[in-house]
Amino acid sequence: MNLWNWLRSRRIRFRERHYRESELDREMEAHLELEAEEQEESGLQPEDAHFAARRAFGNTTIVREDVRAIWSAIWLERFARDVKYAGRSLRKSPGFAVVAVLTLALGIGANTAIFSAIDALMLRPLPFTAADQLVRIYSIQKGMFNTFANPDGPSALDVRDFAQRSRSFQKMVAYDTWAKNVSFGKSAGQPEQMAVGLVPAAYFEILDIRPIIGRLFSEDENQEGKNYVAAISAQLWRNRFDGDPSVLGRKIHINGEAYTIVAVMPDVIPAWVEPGRHSEIWTPFPYSPDMLSESGRGERGYAVLARLKPGVSLEQAQADLSVIAAALAAEHPLDQGVGVAVKRLADSRVGALRPMLYLLMGAVSLILLIACVNLANLLLARNSARQRELAVRAALGAGRGGLVRQLLAETLLLSLIGGAVGFACAEIGLRALARMHPENLPQLGSVGIDWRVLAFTLLVSLVTSLLFGLAPAFMGTRLNLVDALKQGGRSTTSGRSSQRVRSLLVITEMAMCLMLLVGASLLVRSIRRLEGQNLGIRQDHLLRGRIYLPPVRYTSPGVRTRFCDDFATRVRALPGVIEATVTTVYPPNNGWTQMLVIPGHPVTRIQDIPSAQFGVVDQHFLRTLGIPLIRGRDFAESDSTTSPPVALISEEFKRRYFATEDPIGRKIHIGPPQLPGITVEENITDDVDVTIIGVIGDFKNAGLALAPQPQITVLYSQHPLVNGGFKDILIRTASEPHLVESEIRSQLRALDSDMPFAEAQTIDELVERQTGGQRFTTVLLASFAVAGLALAVVGIYGVVSFLVAQRKQEMAVRMALGASRANVLWLVLKHSLELAAIGAGMGLAGAWAAQRLTSGLLFGISPVDPVTFAAGAAFLMVVAGIASAIPGARVMQIDPALALRQD
Amino acid sequence: MPTIMTPKNSPSRTELLQGTLDMLILRTLLFGPAHGHQIAKHIQRTTEDVLQVEHGSLYPALHRMERKGWIIAKWEMAKERNRELKYYRLTPAGRKQLVREESRWKQVAAAVATVMAPVRGGPS
Repeated sequence: MNLWNWLRSRRIRFRERHYRESELDREMEAHLELEAEEQEESGLQPEDAHFAARRAFGNTTIVREDVRAIWSAIWLERFARDVKYAGRSLRKSPGFAVVAVLTLALGIGANTAIFSAIDALMLRPLPFTAADQLVRIYSIQKGMFNTFANPDGPSALDVRDFAQRSRSFQKMVAYDTWAKNVSFGKSAGQPEQMAVGLVPAAYFEILDIRPIIGRLFSEDENQEGKNYVAAISAQLWRNRFDGDPSVLGRKIHINGEAYTIVAVMPDVIPAWVEPGRHSEIWTPFPYSPDMLSESGRGERGYAVLARLKPGVSLEQAQADLSVIAAALAAEHPLDQGVGVAVKRLADSRVGALRPMLYLLMGAVSLILLIACVNLANLLLARNSARQRELAVRAALGAGRGGLVRQLLAETLLLSLIGGAVGFACAEIGLRALARMHPENLPQLGSVGIDWRVLAFTLLVSLVTSLLFGLAPAFMGTRLNLVDALKQGGRSTTSGRSSQRVRSLLVITEMAMCLMLLVGASLLVRSIRRLEGQNLGIRQDHLLRGRIYLPPVRYTSPGVRTRFCDDFATRVRALPGVIEATVTTVYPPNNGWTQMLVIPGHPVTRIQDIPSAQFGVVDQHFLRTLGIPLIRGRDFAESDSTTSPPVALISEEFKRRYFATEDPIGRKIHIGPPQLPGITVEENITDDVDVTIIGVIGDFKNAGLALAPQPQITVLYSQHPLVNGGFKDILIRTASEPHLVESEIRSQLRALDSDMPFAEAQTIDELVERQTGGQRFTTVLLASFAVAGLALAVVGIYGVVSFLVAQRKQEMAVRMALGASRANVLWLVLKHSLELAAIGAGMGLAGAWAAQRLTSGLLFGISPVDPVTFAAGAAFLMVVAGIASAIPGARVMQIDPALALRQD
Repeated sequence: MPTIMTPKNSPSRTELLQGTLDMLILRTLLFGPAHGHQIAKHIQRTTEDVLQVEHGSLYPALHRMERKGWIIAKWEMAKERNRELKYYRLTPAGRKQLVREESRWKQVAAAVATVMAPVRGGPS
């Protein structure tokens, strides 16, 4: 490529301007000197002569400016002319122009949309003062119940000790979010289950948020009994209270208790800062005596927010806390194997989705690359087809610079139009993204294109224009006049080197396209496996709803049991309802891990304590969910508060703890064993052990991605200590599950008019929500792959049609000499298939190299799955074959006699 | 006494004057190549100092005319002085332009003369 020559000419151009300036100075200086000499000759003193000369000349600065204005007028005129020509020549080949603009628009649009989203999701600074001082603190558990180093919230006691012993933090606060029944009074509509943030006043102080009206909670109000005050969000204030300033002092009922509104907080806390759901109401967080007694040290899971002291780095804070955590682990058996992690608040935004976003970034960059390659290819083909035109122009005296300039103007015009269309595409794309709105990316709803991304788009469109505009411009203008005219006259193959460059471009395009194809199909297969798994239940027509029985009104386990039984009985009686069960456990997640004492499993260390997923249910559990009973018997109505407590265990439980013996009739103690020197806070220490009465099929209880864990299920009626206020109801329906929802609501209202029926969703929807992030990535990646494929098809189509046009004579000669039409077609096909094959090989290598990007996102499929790789490559070859056969077929229509006479 | 203005001032007037200046320069170059100073001096001399051309205003005009292809410029050794100077020359296009400018000038001059004629005979 003639890049060097071009750079040299550029430098000359730049120097030329500089040279012109100095030449003008020189000319004017000479003038002044000549005039001064003349004045001196007529008798003036040298100094006076000098001044006289200047006077006669006038203001040199103005003269210089005027001359310069004339120069730039020339340049502008030339530019306008170039752009006009460019527009005209693009209009003359609308097919090329449209394809080129669309190619660019796709590349730029997709990139702008994705990078806008990523900027909003993980790059944009947080809306808090000195946000880089804000950190989150997690406990990392090793061993214990789960073998994973799961980041989890610390316990309240650990947080207290962290705060007391560390020197890196200004403030540290543990907080939580609970779903609670909220009613705003008779006039303000239905009760609602809402996320209520339990936050000490320090929470708002750390975030540096002040109330719009009202006051923050006081230290005092963090004590049990004084905590009946609430802060509400501005949004809630507007929606429920019409923004009435007299809202302060009004009462709202949370779980049946009256709270006084003392503050309206601005809507600045993003949803992801709060654990679980987005809170619109906050109340103080009175630590119960349990939480702060030593036995509560193992009660982890609180969200912790802290503000670093100015000048303290993240690493210093981490080191500080690590030392403390190690000391705590040595002091308290419950903290054994528990480490600590400090993370910036800003980095916790996208959580587990980070690798997916990186993958999307990579994919969308590939799209841009493919688009660039495609455009380069298009321009290259077009410009070499125009070589004759350019040669004629050159022969007629157009300077080489003029030709390059005109080609540049064309590319610039193309890329600007492409950029504009691309910007529109990005806008549409972002709206589509917002509509997909995956559950775990709530920020995505509010993403818009901002000026930085606009600048980014323009930059991309300019850089790409230079990238593809210039290369063809060189190929196009590296003219050997005689050759070009000769070639054009009797077109053989056009310039061997430009041919090679085009082939290389097609190969690159194919390679990148295959990488996208492979990545997308891996994700599609992975998500289909993930969603298509057998949950271990009959998944269809199963509705889930949540209720909460506040302890104020449902004071005893007996009352709670009676309410649940009444409710379930009423629901079962509804038309369209086949079965219903009140339960705390159902697929795909459970989240209640319980320590057990199992005979034959003596333990000496806390890490060895047997544990299992735990659930409290009623007698209709198996029947409603459709879980098979493997052996023994199901719960029966005869299992009552007065009969001995019974339990069902899963097959996995049997495999783990009763591998060789029959578990039926065996007794298990629910709760931790008594170990010397260890007090384990547990809310269940029944004196009576449960008897295993049956073994049931495994079902997903640890998320979709993990195999079913050991499960033990008991009746809530038989276990007062675990018969709490949070209960879910599962309803098996005959038809569309959501249809019975309103009926269920009215049944519930009949029982308790203040109790909301919350989060009604089918199990299918729950599964879908769990895979929301993956689905989001998959859909995007798949659409990128389709876009990439479309671009690659355009690319190979273009190259082959150009090839066919160029080699018409050659083909005609071959046919005249006896080659069959099929032979000639094969000649064309062979060439493009060779390119596709090389590209596919490189693409597979690329996909193999990129496995690190995908491996973390895949379920049940290897990132280098040979079937996917082979199928992707084969598919690409077929598509390439078809894309080249269509223009290739034109070869078959060549009339040798006619073609040879042409030109 | 009219002064040649820079193009920034009063467009209608300078248009006429610019044209006039162009014509004067072309006319000067009719006698052979000349550098800027020579052109300025020549205009001054031939108009007997009636038209006082600010020397500097020649240069924008020269560059503009060069761009229009009426004149071309070249750095050459001045014979009488031992230094390089930028000499301007008429091109064929410049000659044609001079003819056009002259005929237009004649029209204008004739028109002005017609208007001004009665004054000459009037009482002074």
